[in-house]
Amino acid sequence: MIMVRAIVRPEKADDVLAALMDAGFPAVTKFSVAGRGKQRGIKIGEVTYDEIPKTMLLSVVKNADRDFVVETIMTAARSGKKGAFGDGKIFVSPVDEIYTVSSGVCETATGEEA
Amino acid sequence: MKEVIAVVRMNMMNRTKQALTDAGIDGYFAHEVQGRGVGLANPHVLEGAASGYEEAVALLGERGKLYPKRMITVVVPDKDVKAVVKTLIEVNQTGKPGDGKIFVMPVGDAVRVRTAETGEKSII
Repeated sequence: MIMVRAIVRPEKADDVLAALMDAGFPAVTKFSVAGRGKQRGIKIGEVTYDEIPKTMLLSVVKNADRDFVVETIMTAARSGKKGAFGDGKIFVSPVDEIYTVSSGVCETATGEEA
Repeated sequence: MKEVIAVVRMNMMNRTKQALTDAGIDGYFAHEVQGRGVGLANPHVLEGAASGYEEAVALLGERGKLYPKRMITVVVPDKDVKAVVKTLIEVNQTGKPGDGKIFVMPVGDAVRVRTAETGEKSII
């Protein structure tokens, strides 16, 4: 299993959540973050804004679904057709074990119940 | 070292904090988050609809709503992972959908900023 962490524009978060729901990946955690990227924030006149509000979406999916989920998030989070600076980043990291608290069931990295 | 990320009900936070302290876990990091799971029905709405409340009936079939949750991140040595997960499950389990999920992920390295210690020494 892998954890997909996506940092997207706050106004695009609802689009991404809807796209994931339609694609069959309902389970998502969302929280607000602030950050800057390679462009060192936004400079408007004399003022530089380098703590730009963003939304982080976190979802754990099977290894096989990785490309599809990343593609779904990327398409939904992109502004316009070409995209623009500030559309965000997606990070993918491995997950060893997943426990469901209500049932206590453990799933291993390959997605099998252990 | 492993990173244990738990997403749990927010009314369980005080109990969870106490249980972690009792289990000898002193350092962790908590975040207010919103989330949804694979459960496609809200048990409260189902209960209301079964009792015949019109408002609850109108909410049936609603999907994709995000519920407020708390996320706890603990970084522990490999040998403590089982104990931490067991503690978190014991405290947060009500048996109903929405109790949350626990993810165990590998951590490459950790550094204590004050002393520049790395590895397991930095988290003990």
